[in-house]
Amino acid sequence: MTSAPATESPQITDFSFQPVSRVEWVHRSELKANDYNPNHVAPPELDLLLVSILADGWTQPIVTLPDLTIVDGFHRWTLAGDPRMEALYGGFVPVVRIQLDPVHSRMSTIRHNRARGIHGILPMAKIVTQMIQEGIAPEAILEGLGMEDEELSRLATQVGMPELAGTMGFTKEWTPGKKPV
Amino acid sequence: MKAAGLVKTWSERDVYAAAQERFDMLYKRFDTVVVSFSGGKDSTVCLHLALEAAAANGKLPVSAYFWDEEAIHPETIEYVERVRARDDVKLTWLCLPVKHRNACSRTTPYWYCWDPEQKPLWCRPIPQGAVTSAHWFRKGMTIPEASPYVYGRQYGTVCDIRGIRADESLRRLMSVMNRMEENWLQGARLGYNYPASPIYDWSVVDVWTAPMQHGWDYNRAYDLFYKVGVPFNDMRVCPPFGEEPLGALYRYAICWPELWDKMVRRVPGAATAARYSRTKLYGFGDQTLPEGVTSWREWCQRMLVLYPEPYRGLIAAKVASVIQMHKNKTARPIPEDTADPLSGLSWRFLANLVQRGDMKGRRQGKLNDAALKQMAQQGFTLAQLHAMEHDVSTRY
Repeated sequence: MTSAPATESPQITDFSFQPVSRVEWVHRSELKANDYNPNHVAPPELDLLLVSILADGWTQPIVTLPDLTIVDGFHRWTLAGDPRMEALYGGFVPVVRIQLDPVHSRMSTIRHNRARGIHGILPMAKIVTQMIQEGIAPEAILEGLGMEDEELSRLATQVGMPELAGTMGFTKEWTPGKKPV
Repeated sequence: MKAAGLVKTWSERDVYAAAQERFDMLYKRFDTVVVSFSGGKDSTVCLHLALEAAAANGKLPVSAYFWDEEAIHPETIEYVERVRARDDVKLTWLCLPVKHRNACSRTTPYWYCWDPEQKPLWCRPIPQGAVTSAHWFRKGMTIPEASPYVYGRQYGTVCDIRGIRADESLRRLMSVMNRMEENWLQGARLGYNYPASPIYDWSVVDVWTAPMQHGWDYNRAYDLFYKVGVPFNDMRVCPPFGEEPLGALYRYAICWPELWDKMVRRVPGAATAARYSRTKLYGFGDQTLPEGVTSWREWCQRMLVLYPEPYRGLIAAKVASVIQMHKNKTARPIPEDTADPLSGLSWRFLANLVQRGDMKGRRQGKLNDAALKQMAQQGFTLAQLHAMEHDVSTRY
C-alpha cells in the first residue's frame, strides 16, 4: 500500500460509506455466533490472540449481520469475556454490521479466514535473530509471538546441519551375513 | 524374500573406510564411473567419496549427472551450481520432460517437468548449459528408465552410483540383503549399466558426520528443513508432488514463497493438496465412511469411477492384483473393515488405496503389518491360520 495517492486516482474524501467508518461499540452479550463457522483456533493461537488485543488494543472490528450474528471475529468475541478484557473494555466490542444474504455471509466468513498469507520461514528467522541481537529476552519473544522454545531455537539457530547432526563419529560397516547360531 | 536368514553383521571398520574401499574398487573395475547426483545429502557423500577415489586412481574429473526436476528448492539449485563450477567434477545438468507423479490430482495424476507445451507455467527458466533434448530421450520416460542412457553403451561398462541407504526404508534394506558378497552392486541394466549403492550401510548421522569432519559444502535446504522442524530422517530433496512428499507440500509455501507462487499453478490440485494433504480428503489418517454410503466395498467402487481413463484402468488393475494376492493366501472373502489375519486386506484398505490413487503400491507394506496385528488380536499363529485354509470345516 502506498500512502500517497497515485496521480490517476479520483480524489475521494468521503469514506463514510465504508463499513469501518460505521464502527459501533456493542456489549458482547448482544452478539451471537453463527452456526457454520469452519474456522478453528487452537489454544496457543487463541492465547496469542488475547495477547494481541491486550497489547495493541482493538485494531479491527467484529463483522456481523444487522441482527448481530457474527460473520468474522468469533474468537475475539469469545475472548472479550476474559476478565482482563472485561477490566479494560467492560465487555464492549467494536462491531461493524454488513448486509449479507445467508450464502454470502458464509462466503464472507470463509474469505475473512482464508484470504491471508503464510509467513516465510527465512524472514521469520531473520526477525527472531534480530530481536535476540537487540537484547530482547527470549521469554518476551516467546510470549509476544506465541512460540514454543522449540520453534524459537530452531528459527534462531545459525548452525548448519553438519554441526547439528554430524557430531558423533562414524558408525561401523555392516554386511549381510548368516545368522549366528 | 530371497536369501532369508541373512542379517546385518557388523565389522570392525567404520562406514567411511568401508565406502572408501568400495569406491576404489569401482574405479578399478568399471570403464566409467558416474555419480547420480540429486543435490541431496546422500549423493553429496557419494560425490566426495568418488572425488577421493578418482584422484587416487588418476581418473579425475568425476562424472556426475543431475536430473533437474524444475520445482526444486533454490538452495538445491545454488548447491548444484557450485558443484558444476568445480574443475574436478564434470556435471551433466538434465532438464528433460520426465514423467512425475502428481498425487495432488485425480484427473491429472502425472506431470512432466520442463514440458515444452507448458512453458508459460514453468517454475523457473532452464539453467544455462543444461541438456534439453537427447536422442535417447522421449517425453514421458521416468528417471529410472532414462538414467542408463545418460552415459550410454559407448562408455563401456558404466557404474551408476546412487546414495541409496538401507536405513531409509524396508524396501531399500531388502535390496541390499540379497547376498553376502557385493550385495550393494546390482546386475547390469541394458547389458552395460551397473547400479551401485556403496553407502548402503550409512546412517543419517554418518551422512552428516562426513561433511562435518571434512568441511564439505552441502545443500543449504537442509538448514531450512531443520528450522521448520523436519526430523533428520525425513529430510529429503525429492520431487514435491509425489505420494510420499505430499504431506509436506505446505512446507514449500513457508520455506520458498516465490517458488510456491509458481508451484501452486504448475500442476492441478497443488493448492488443494497443500491445504488438505494431511486430511481424509487425501486418504490420510483414519477414514470414516461418508454419509449415504453403506460399505467400504461400495465406496471403493464409487471412487474408482471418479478417475478418468487410463488411470481408472490402472488403479482398477492395482486393486485386482491386491485382491488376487489375498486370494492366493486365503479362501476367506475380503472383510469389510478389519484386516484379514493372513492377507491383511480389507475393503477399507482398498478404498484408501483408491482414494490415494496409489498406482505404485507404496502402501503395500502396511498390509503385512495389518495382518500381523490382526493375527495377534485373534490369537492365532501363522501355522494355525495356514492349517485352517486346508481344514474343510473352517473354510468359508
